[in-house]
Amino acid sequence: MDAPVLALDKVGRVLAGRRVVNELCLKVARGEVLGLLGVNGAGKSTTLRMIAGVLAPSTGTIRVDGKDLSEHPELARRGIGYLPETPPLHAELAVGEFLEFCARLHGLAGRSRAAAARAIERCGLGEVRRRLIGALSKGFRQRVGLAQAIVHEPGLIVLDEPASGLDPVQALHLRELVRGLGADHAIVLSTHVLPDVLACCDRVAILHEGRLRHEGSLAPAADGAVLRVRVAKPVGQDDWRDLPMVAAALPVAHDAGLWQIRLQAGATASALAAAVVARGFGLEELRAENSALEDVFMAIAAGETEAVAA
Amino acid sequence: MSVALIARHEWRRLAAQPFAWMLAAIVVALMAWQYLLALEAFLQLSPRLGGVKDAPGVTDLVAIPLLRSFSNLLMLIVPLVTMRSIAGERRAQSLPLLLASGAGNARIVVGKYLGALGFVIVLILLVATMPLALATGTALDFGRLGAAVLGLVLFASTLTAIGTWCSTWTPQPALAAAAAFAVTSLLAIVDAGARFQGIDNGGINYLALPTHIEPFFRGLVASVDIVYFLLLAIVALALAARRLERLRGSDD
Repeated sequence: MDAPVLALDKVGRVLAGRRVVNELCLKVARGEVLGLLGVNGAGKSTTLRMIAGVLAPSTGTIRVDGKDLSEHPELARRGIGYLPETPPLHAELAVGEFLEFCARLHGLAGRSRAAAARAIERCGLGEVRRRLIGALSKGFRQRVGLAQAIVHEPGLIVLDEPASGLDPVQALHLRELVRGLGADHAIVLSTHVLPDVLACCDRVAILHEGRLRHEGSLAPAADGAVLRVRVAKPVGQDDWRDLPMVAAALPVAHDAGLWQIRLQAGATASALAAAVVARGFGLEELRAENSALEDVFMAIAAGETEAVAA
Repeated sequence: MSVALIARHEWRRLAAQPFAWMLAAIVVALMAWQYLLALEAFLQLSPRLGGVKDAPGVTDLVAIPLLRSFSNLLMLIVPLVTMRSIAGERRAQSLPLLLASGAGNARIVVGKYLGALGFVIVLILLVATMPLALATGTALDFGRLGAAVLGLVLFASTLTAIGTWCSTWTPQPALAAAAAFAVTSLLAIVDAGARFQGIDNGGINYLALPTHIEPFFRGLVASVDIVYFLLLAIVALALAARRLERLRGSDD
């Protein structure tokens, strides 16, 4: 990893006598999107508030570009963009005017107009720049919220449930936007929507009851794709190993007929499908395995595991 | 820098809301009505004052009563101006915009305070312009008028600070306004019992707002009164900043 833009070292926070975040260690580099997953109450929003400089940690340190955020609060002004779960907007102002204020608030006094114009273009807000924020649809308001988080071109962007409440098309646009921003910023994104993580993030960290329970890359395995296959015929691992394109086969617990299949490097799903049909396994379902993360998430949420290595 | 920016923005947001314009219109209309009534009464009385030695003039009978009456109205309208400053942000969940800007609690509070105070001072100047218009036709006691306006500005500074503090208590602006009205009313009548007993120089009298605004209406500018208003404003703003620190960890 490059020198991290963000580094959390044993960060903890007590709120109303309850330890909401505990001994959290994380790093995020420029060009990387980290997905922070967790059920409601896992400590995601509190963690993001601390990263954004809204809330000071009770223990541990948060470093942004190598500097302690608590000792250099000005870092939050210039180096961090934050979109809370509800976009912080001033409904009585027009989009352009609001974003110019945000730019000035983050220290771009002389360049606020140009910065606002750039954020408006990037977030696709050109057609509504003169409209009052209060009159905008939910999707546009979310985009204005994102625009205020990036208007000052921060090195670190913190997004709390950015796709919350959006329809599928709006959510897709937002994912594309986040993916685009991830190319040259460090992004921390919290959500409990797994497809958002799979679509946007390079790495995932799962929080549960304030603790980091899983951290790992979402890059595809180098030795071949992982598929989930459902067959009608009762088959065993030996039957799968007979197929030349299969590297490994594991039955999915509690579901007879459902298998997790890892292909050999270079093998394709269509070749596997053809072989399964040819052997008469009774192919019922074949899909890319995105649910490894889901399994981990569900296991952690159910308290079945203490910590899962990537 | 961020204090001035937040203050200007607060001012801009007030100007963008019909509520502030309506409030200003109602205040000016009410005070203009009182002013015209007082002027009419003075014009009827003035022939009889001609032969009286050291008779009260238009400053005593029109300008100062108008400004004194406005000080009472300020206790009602300042909470309406300040109620949204923090409570409105909390209700709209837009406070994180400022909290995440690195501005710091004190700067946010002072910026909000100055923005609201600027609006209240404009109202004071609008009302003060009414008696000043008489200067074209009669002699006014500008020293006494100046003292009264200074007293009103200091009084409004304290009320605005108390209103800003109360605005941090709740996400409901109406509740914040009610709380600010309650606190200022309490400060206005805290020594009423003592005065009823004939005590007008005790410690409890020092706490009361009227003890310190009245000298300004009589043309007396005393440092003890200035210090009282400034001290009260600073304490209220410090409490507001402290409350904001607690809000950083809350869910709204």
